[in-house]
Amino acid sequence: MWILLVDMDAFFASVEQLHHPHLRGRPVIVCGDPQRRGVVTAASYEARPSGVRAGMSLVEARRLCPDAAYVEGNPEKYVALSLQLLDLYLTFTPEVEPFSVDEAFLGLDPRTPDLGAAAREARRLQQAIDERFRLGASIGVGPNKLVAKMASGLEKPRGLTALDEEGFRRAFWPRDVQELWGVGPKLAVRMRSLGIRTVGDLARAPAPSLKAVFGVVGPSLREAACGRDDTPLVPYHRGVDPKSMGHEVTLPADSADPAFLEGTLLRLSDQVARRLRGEGFVGRTVTLKLRDHRFVTLTRQRVLEAFTADHRLVFETARALWREHWKGGPVRLLGVSVSALARHSDHPQAELFEEDRREGRLTEALDRLRDRLGEAALVPAGSLTHRRPLGHVPFGPPPARMPGRRPGREREPS
Amino acid sequence: MFESLSDPVDVLTVFVEGKVRPLRFRWQGRVIRVRKVSGEWTRREGQALLRYYAVEAAGAGTYELCFDPRGPRWILSRAWTGGT
Repeated sequence: MWILLVDMDAFFASVEQLHHPHLRGRPVIVCGDPQRRGVVTAASYEARPSGVRAGMSLVEARRLCPDAAYVEGNPEKYVALSLQLLDLYLTFTPEVEPFSVDEAFLGLDPRTPDLGAAAREARRLQQAIDERFRLGASIGVGPNKLVAKMASGLEKPRGLTALDEEGFRRAFWPRDVQELWGVGPKLAVRMRSLGIRTVGDLARAPAPSLKAVFGVVGPSLREAACGRDDTPLVPYHRGVDPKSMGHEVTLPADSADPAFLEGTLLRLSDQVARRLRGEGFVGRTVTLKLRDHRFVTLTRQRVLEAFTADHRLVFETARALWREHWKGGPVRLLGVSVSALARHSDHPQAELFEEDRREGRLTEALDRLRDRLGEAALVPAGSLTHRRPLGHVPFGPPPARMPGRRPGREREPS
Repeated sequence: MFESLSDPVDVLTVFVEGKVRPLRFRWQGRVIRVRKVSGEWTRREGQALLRYYAVEAAGAGTYELCFDPRGPRWILSRAWTGGT
């Protein structure tokens, strides 16, 4: 089966340019509140020649591209458009696997005879996206997900690159080994130290040696370097459970105020736990992310004795990690995530004592209240026990699935 | 530059093919005619489903209008009226 990877070009920035014509043809940088500090979420193609990239601090972006339009991002808007795009993809094939908010894998009809026919189908899809949404997409076509994904990055924006395994080798073997999907900067450094500098070097390296140095991942990376990949495409209607859920926030100013930082951790833990409960998950590993004023990032995690979706337990664990590892210096960013997830129905939390049952009932009641009134209607009191407000911690969108929730009646605008 | 707002506005709308289309709205004493709806999306707040419309004005400027069914009311949530 031929696979397409559709990658929307500079998606967030393009959506803003679509909705606001005065931004078209201009460098656009999508970020958090432009009046506060933070990082670049997305940069339009007009902004990229100046060196602005996603993840860069806004201070740096303003230095590189002072004339850009700095636009506050709107995740709900991008998700809504992403869902409309998925609907369009489903008119082409039922085999659609969303890969991120702006990328999706599509599996073409197995009767598609050859790469040329697959490329023609990709072109038809690209035109449909342009006609319906007036947005650009770059598409990679290949015999598997790896080749499709890597091909999509070769020509941008509005590119279309179709490669079979042989074409993949011609295109990627001369390239730096870090360009191989799955090879990050640290792995690339280790590979270079062994004389593996290009994707071709990796493809030609003996599998036993790679296994000896890199473990089981070594031979699979060698397969990838040859353009081979047997990862199945999982259509989204069959559903894939998330691996982790988390929230992080860049503080409005570096802070070394313990009450403020703990309040922020509590708010983040509450959001993560609420999302877990809303989507019917529990988790066993809590991870704290801490970035200091020098941009040094530290992540530490702890495995719990049992699965949980209780914000107090998530918070207590995150706070314990923070107290253990925070040296008292100014903090720039805090994050809390929970991983090692499982379906709540597979791991019902034992409530042996009356107190636990009471807490459980209280949490359910509070969830129902927030389902009805919104996330900001109730916040943990502990996040209000200090003088500085937590306006910098945005309330995330409400959980996507609310088991047992009756759909509310919504009034149409008139 | 963009202004993030939360201004109540009066909006004249029409239903076209089952969809709401804002035609004009009154803001700061001015009536602004909508030339084009360039995008729409929704956001949930509790049980309320807020509907957003990105609109281009007939003169210059682009705006984001929000219908909040809890009023019901229309809110101007973002405006760009010139400058960078």
